[in-house]
Amino acid sequence: MSVQTLTPARGAARTIRAMLGRSYPRIIGANRERSWLCYDTVLPLLGTVAFVYVYKALGAPERFIGYVIMGGATTAFWLNVMWSMAAQFYWDKQGGNLELYMVVPCGVPAILLGMSLGGMVATVLRAIAIVLLGSWLFHVDYSLVQIPLFVLVFAVAIVALYGLGVTFASLFLLWGREAWHTANLFMEPVFLVSGFYFPVSALGFWVGMGASIIPLTLALDAMRQLLFPSVHPGLLPVSWELGILVGLAALFIVVARLSLKKMEFLARREGRLSLRF
Amino acid sequence: MSDRLRRWWTTLRVSYWLGWQIESNWTDPFLFFIYSIARPLGSALILVFMFFVVARVRQGPILGFFIVGTAFWPFIVSGMQGMAWSIISDREHWRTLKYVYTSPIPYRAYLVGRALAQAASASAAMLITLLFGRWVLKVPIGLATIDLPYALAAFVLGITAIIALGLVIVSAAMMISGEAWRMPEAVGAALYLLCGAVFPVAVLPGFLQTVTQGIPLTWWLEAMRRGLLGSGTLRSFAWASDAQVLVLLAVSTAVWMAIGLAVFTLAERRARALGILDRESAF
Repeated sequence: MSVQTLTPARGAARTIRAMLGRSYPRIIGANRERSWLCYDTVLPLLGTVAFVYVYKALGAPERFIGYVIMGGATTAFWLNVMWSMAAQFYWDKQGGNLELYMVVPCGVPAILLGMSLGGMVATVLRAIAIVLLGSWLFHVDYSLVQIPLFVLVFAVAIVALYGLGVTFASLFLLWGREAWHTANLFMEPVFLVSGFYFPVSALGFWVGMGASIIPLTLALDAMRQLLFPSVHPGLLPVSWELGILVGLAALFIVVARLSLKKMEFLARREGRLSLRF
Repeated sequence: MSDRLRRWWTTLRVSYWLGWQIESNWTDPFLFFIYSIARPLGSALILVFMFFVVARVRQGPILGFFIVGTAFWPFIVSGMQGMAWSIISDREHWRTLKYVYTSPIPYRAYLVGRALAQAASASAAMLITLLFGRWVLKVPIGLATIDLPYALAAFVLGITAIIALGLVIVSAAMMISGEAWRMPEAVGAALYLLCGAVFPVAVLPGFLQTVTQGIPLTWWLEAMRRGLLGSGTLRSFAWASDAQVLVLLAVSTAVWMAIGLAVFTLAERRARALGILDRESAF
């Protein structure tokens, strides 16, 4: 029996190899567990459908159903970032993987990049499934004319969002059970302030701007402006929102790098890396 | 009190205390309070803003419908899902299931105690959401609208129904090891859609309306709305009188309790026979 061996890599090659290795279980491995596919798609869809029926009970115009479906797809990203990025090191502590990540030569940043890449790809597929299923179930029409701009807003928002996820992951590195509860806490309150199920401008300009620290707030608003032009009450013009998202992406990448270093140091010093409970 | 009953009561009390400690001792009481109310209040406010952007008015009977639904929903999440998660966390996370199960206690009492502790943690959220609805949104909940005996009877039946459904989910969690921890959440999400938690079930397609009537939680939420908001409330079942709603809640609860106990007994036997009662897989 032959065993495939890899030549040792250094520098960027090692980082890329580690990144791809860590993303593999999220893109390929996760699909082997059929129930995950079902839960990741059906769970956000069930919540989405409930909110669609709320709008139906309120007698809302059809575009609101489109808002909810977009919000439901975005939920998949937020769930992925909170549970599979921010709280991931908590799970890894339980499973004993965190110590291994700390001693491998590629370092933790490559592992986090791999988690982000895997999470992004897997969640994009699930979000597309949610949008297609939701739009098919409720016959939603979109009038998307600026496809490149839509894709650009989406791509920049995802980079910013996963930058935020890495920042959270480093913060959660210190925590035990608090990590689980904090991730839990950042669900409905975030859905509220980011306008997942209604236009964020309804909260008022300054609340909307405050909530823009979460990249999904401006991303959702910009994408809704592009999908429902002339009827969606946007918080800011799309070009401004795109500019702010680019700034957030850059900011979170820098903050994530710094906070990871700091938190790793603190976690090592306080002996919390292998503290399970 | 017979010896059997005393053992049930002691186990229930101690497991309630244990459940409460697990739920709350990860932080200080103030933060725990904030944590307990943030999600339900967030849910209520999402619905309120959805109403505002569509109706463009500040008041309407559906606000009361939203407030009572979101106030009592955490009992379902905490009690029903919590009961399932208690067995999963004992098995997978704390790895204490085998010790608890083999100790000389009635295991059902232990699970019910854990579920009640989880449900108790939803009380603060319920109270704050109702007060928020009353004082901020001006939802008409007051002495004139509350039918206390009716609401209390409905509440007790509702908690019993939550435990009954919890037993069914625990039974499933015993049999599926790998992904058991996500299953209670999926059931909760399905019930959120089907039970008229945030919209009258009359807007659902016909066949789903029939399904909703078989779930005691639908009748529970309807009864709580009638008990707290009085005759001015928006109703999921306009054809049913208040007494009929309570009777249907009692009957469906009794049926689901019988199903829950039977399914739990079967699942427990099967899990023991297959040797999977304490099979770990998640960590």
